Amino acid sequence: MTAVRTPVPSRPQPATRRPGAAAARLLRLELRHNAMLWMVPVAAALFWFTTYRKAMAMPPLWNLRAATMQLGALVAFVCPVVGAAAWMGSREARRHITDLAAITARPRWARELATWAATTCWAMVAYLGCVAALYGVTAQQATGGGPLWWPAAVGAVGIVAFSALGFAAGTVVPSRFTAPLAAITAFFALALSTQLIHGSQSYWQISPLVTGPWNAGPDAGVATFYPYLPDLPVAQMMFLAGLTVAALAALALPRGSGGRSLRAGAAAVTAAGLLTAGTAVELAGTGKPDAHGMIAIPALHDAANDRPIHFTPVCSHTAIPVCVNPAYASYLPSTAAALEPVLNEIAGLPGAPARISQAGAIYLQRVGNGAGVRLPGPTISGTPPVYHVLLPDQLLGPTMTTSQLADTMRSTAGPALIASVVGSGPGASPAQHAVTETLMLAAGLPLQGPVPPPGRGRGRYQPPPWLLPGSPVYAAARRFAAMPAPARHAWLVRHLAALRAGQITLAQLP
Amino acid sequence: MTARAARQTPAPAVSGRSARSAWPLRAGMRLARLHAAGRRIPVALAAIAACAVGLRIALIGHWDAYGALQLPLVFETGAAAAITVTTASPLGEPERVTGRWLPYLRLAAALVLTAAAAAALAAAGTGAHLAGGTLEVLRNVAGITGIGLLCAAVLGGGLAWTGPTGYLLAGVYALYTQWHGPALTTPWLWPARPAHDLGAALCAGLVFTAGIAVITVRGARDPVRE
Repeated sequence: MTAVRTPVPSRPQPATRRPGAAAARLLRLELRHNAMLWMVPVAAALFWFTTYRKAMAMPPLWNLRAATMQLGALVAFVCPVVGAAAWMGSREARRHITDLAAITARPRWARELATWAATTCWAMVAYLGCVAALYGVTAQQATGGGPLWWPAAVGAVGIVAFSALGFAAGTVVPSRFTAPLAAITAFFALALSTQLIHGSQSYWQISPLVTGPWNAGPDAGVATFYPYLPDLPVAQMMFLAGLTVAALAALALPRGSGGRSLRAGAAAVTAAGLLTAGTAVELAGTGKPDAHGMIAIPALHDAANDRPIHFTPVCSHTAIPVCVNPAYASYLPSTAAALEPVLNEIAGLPGAPARISQAGAIYLQRVGNGAGVRLPGPTISGTPPVYHVLLPDQLLGPTMTTSQLADTMRSTAGPALIASVVGSGPGASPAQHAVTETLMLAAGLPLQGPVPPPGRGRGRYQPPPWLLPGSPVYAAARRFAAMPAPARHAWLVRHLAALRAGQITLAQLP
Repeated sequence: MTARAARQTPAPAVSGRSARSAWPLRAGMRLARLHAAGRRIPVALAAIAACAVGLRIALIGHWDAYGALQLPLVFETGAAAAITVTTASPLGEPERVTGRWLPYLRLAAALVLTAAAAAALAAAGTGAHLAGGTLEVLRNVAGITGIGLLCAAVLGGGLAWTGPTGYLLAGVYALYTQWHGPALTTPWLWPARPAHDLGAALCAGLVFTAGIAVITVRGARDPVRE
């Protein structure tokens, strides 16, 4: 063999690799070989079955649908994401390639982070797709009050945390049993964590399923007249981010994950993550329901969020306009139609309101998980007088359909409006009772006794004995109702002030 | 040892009727033990026991109506998922082509584990308020295990847990709709049906039978890649 002279380069060629290219290639490889990819249809199907259908059955209100989305999406995603992440975390050990992978150029921690990142990417793709579908449809249907991004943000951070916790579980206990047991344990912890919430100022409000006072559930009355309070979402995201950082940093703690400095740094980051999560729990424990139905945390609260949102109300074209917040515009036609017979009867009478206006509710925390709702001020106020109402959906309780809401408005706000104009109440004169019943008959409302005073509940009262057929009040009411509507209205215009003052007797009624 | 030497190796000294009759039993026991070890059946039994203990501890607490109904379902799903994971074979194709007794071993393993899970969870609820009672435990464990076994045949034993865990959420949601309608009353969502509901029991039984049949005949799919 002869020696061959080959030119020796005078100096080494400069590296042409782009920074981060290897990491990107590793991530791309992991994206192509990731179990979460196969879980995307499962998660999407679960989201559709449990969350999307439920949200779409609700009225097109952002506050209802966003809160439902946050809770439902996290519950739907927890098993697929935690399971897939744990499966991927245990991959090297399951395939018995730990030693083979240990001699690669990348430290173990970097390889694990790439696998976790790929898992999280697919989980986020699925989650964001689901959110986009739900928010997109809601944006087309809703007439105001959103979109609300805090619930979507909490859900996104929650998905990242699920992925990190599942991955850490799979790495620490690399068994084929780890994935299912981690998924079910995570579901158990998440879904049943809310069982431990008792009253306000509970530390368990840190659960990412909580969007407001837990016992109230998704509430159609919040975040429309006042901003969506970010206090609790910020604390929840702090908690979830802290858990994520701690779980990922803990992967670098075992011997062989990297150098001594890396492990020391990982220990510090793990401690910092746990500290952040603990601080968030402490903050959530100080949160309590504010007057506008959301949870305020004093240390995170911004007073600017207590200012009402300015809006131009949407009004009906009835004899007395009915005006609602634009977010509730879908309720306006049915509400106005339900109240129209009453409004036609009282329009133009002395003391009749110039407008019926929807008000923002004031929330009251009661003992335990109890809560109450009331108007922020008097029922009638201002010049010209405005009659303030709460839509039934603003009250705590199950969400109503549009027709249910209209029926409830008709049977509660209708009699209350007539009573406020006539001055009927527990101390009213027989003539006032008779005129009240006349107007209710004319408006097609069922006869009922005096409207209960505020705070004594609501609903239909059984007619008292003096309103039963054959009584003087009943006879006078029938007689007055038999008059032609214009003549009755004209009489009321002339005599309503005296009637309210108790100066008209039953005999003086025409 | 060479082939020639092997041919010259004398036969075992044991002979006679008693040795011949003892050999299949001993070999069968050894085969079952190896199959159980290869499928991680002892670990699955430990997981089932852990689910039973967890259920027992959880039943000590005070739960509202939601929690009390959801609680057993979570642990039943955990036990069912552990059973389905045992369908994964570490040997794959070689075992399939040489294992004459493999279908019987798979059948026996699935049946024994399901019976153990139902018994353990029912025992955990003894003396406590277990929503639905023993019948519901039996129905739910059998049905969810059936889902897992069917998933094992499609996805492979490693990822077979996706079926039970996905069904867990569907079942919990069906329970939720009993309060917040419209209620889901299909018997295919049997966790939301009462224990004495015949349709739900038939559906769960059908799924379990299908799962057992498929896993006995075909076994779990050998995953090529994940």
